[in-house]
Amino acid sequence: MAVFWLAWTVVPLRVVFDTRVGVAGWTYDQSLLVVGFFVTLKGLLDTFVEPNLRSVVEQVRMGTLDFTLLKPVDAQLMISTTKTMPAKLFHVVGGVGLLFYASGQLPQPPSIGSVIWAFLLLSSGLACIYSLWLAVVSLAFFFVRIDNLSYVLESVLDAGRWPVDLYRGGLRFVFTFVVPVGLMTTYPSLALLGNLSAGDGMLSIVVSFVFLFLSRQIWEFALARYSSASS
Amino acid sequence: MDCPTCVDKHVIRVENLCKTYRVPQKPPGLVGSLRSLFSREVQQVHAVQNVTFEIQPGERVGFLGPNGAGKTTTLKMLSGLLVPTSGQINVRGFRPSDRDPDFLRRITLVMGQKQQLLWDLPPYESLELNRALYAISRAQFQETVGQLRDLLDLGALLDRPVRNLSLGERMKCELAVALLHRPDVLFLDEPTIGLDVTMQATVRTFIAEWNQRYGVTVLLTSHYMQDIAALCNRVIVIDGGKLVYDGDLGALARNIAPHRRILLRSHTEMTLDALSAYGPFVREGGSTVASVHASVVNSIVNRLLVDIPDIELSVEDASLESIIARLFQRGEGETRNGRQ
Repeated sequence: MAVFWLAWTVVPLRVVFDTRVGVAGWTYDQSLLVVGFFVTLKGLLDTFVEPNLRSVVEQVRMGTLDFTLLKPVDAQLMISTTKTMPAKLFHVVGGVGLLFYASGQLPQPPSIGSVIWAFLLLSSGLACIYSLWLAVVSLAFFFVRIDNLSYVLESVLDAGRWPVDLYRGGLRFVFTFVVPVGLMTTYPSLALLGNLSAGDGMLSIVVSFVFLFLSRQIWEFALARYSSASS
Repeated sequence: MDCPTCVDKHVIRVENLCKTYRVPQKPPGLVGSLRSLFSREVQQVHAVQNVTFEIQPGERVGFLGPNGAGKTTTLKMLSGLLVPTSGQINVRGFRPSDRDPDFLRRITLVMGQKQQLLWDLPPYESLELNRALYAISRAQFQETVGQLRDLLDLGALLDRPVRNLSLGERMKCELAVALLHRPDVLFLDEPTIGLDVTMQATVRTFIAEWNQRYGVTVLLTSHYMQDIAALCNRVIVIDGGKLVYDGDLGALARNIAPHRRILLRSHTEMTLDALSAYGPFVREGGSTVASVHASVVNSIVNRLLVDIPDIELSVEDASLESIIARLFQRGEGETRNGRQ
């Protein structure tokens, strides 16, 4: 299943590059890196983040979040770490495999330094998605049923399979700063290619911290307005 | 702040507590749904209004009220789940809504309608999870589980998957999990709901035993009056979010239902005319009954026993159910539920 999904992710890329050598300055192999990071990131998200946050929405609706809030442990930590979907780790393996393959196709292999940078930026990307998810979940405290919104977010994240340079104007701004899918996949790829300036890298990490901080604020704001479910 | 050396007489102090929910209203039908997308009407529901009470260490207090009276809302505010709209709460020196970990370690909330046991796993796994969450030492864990196993007669229940347990067995395990960290304030929200008579009695005996052994403070809500009668000397009654009564259960009965019934069974036929000299006797089914004020019961009974040699009589208290029903009726007349 995971192999099929991986192949399916690469198909659009093949179609696009079938008749062209480069798109917006990206070659096929370079774009493959972006897809590799996208698959890895999505795999990590589906394994560790998504199952948890999805269950929070249910807990808010049913009022069983009460028990989580009664524990002498940080509630955000609790709700973010109770569930994992180990099966989705296959996607991570596939994504990493793709990254190795794509790196091997490059004219010169990435340096250790750029690999470390790429890893850091991937982590900051994950932090950004996690924050976005948490913010969306916090809305459940107000609107209860937010399943649809989570699908919207998921579709927006899909934009991360393409290098951010493909997008123009407003979209590009949105994908860099508002829903930073660009940061999540394009920046690590650039880092691996050795094309990312240290300043941009740092900016990306700072942005992820800002996202973590803001989502924490939103979460706490929502928690104070938790109305439980009556029994 | 928490201060173990301070001698605070009260474990729980609640002052002018209010909670107002904002409940969105939707007109019926498709048009109503569309309209509510743009302008939502919000109704204010005053779930708890100006409630004030204090509870001393080791007390067992019954929290009474009809459905929707604000009992659960109050318990949830006391345990820090809900933030009060206004008013002060102090539990063991903490403000519950801060959800200070030290505060959370001292309290527990058991909800008869919701469970924290992990559905597909044996209760022992939930105990282990709580051991980790509350950072309980292995030795203390073993000791507490041993005590709970004895008192609740858990036997092999802890090793069976929760979904294979009966409702009563689940409640026992639920109590075990909730008490594992040895909290000294217990909030019990209808812990006996849906249980059969024997299981209710088991749960009651356990709560009383735990309270006596460890001097824990218990605040209990229940729809079963036997629970309240067996466990609580003191009751707090709220209705429509307002405090209607706070005090001794016996005094409540005397205030609300000052009348007692005298039942006569006599071998000699007595006319109601003859009996009217003693009290307002009437025939009810096969027996002769008079409802009289508690203050004159003794003198009437004495005179009957002296005057009629072979008389058999008994005196009945009004049932707690009927007392509570009467109290709520009276409360409704005064406050007419809290919605505005």
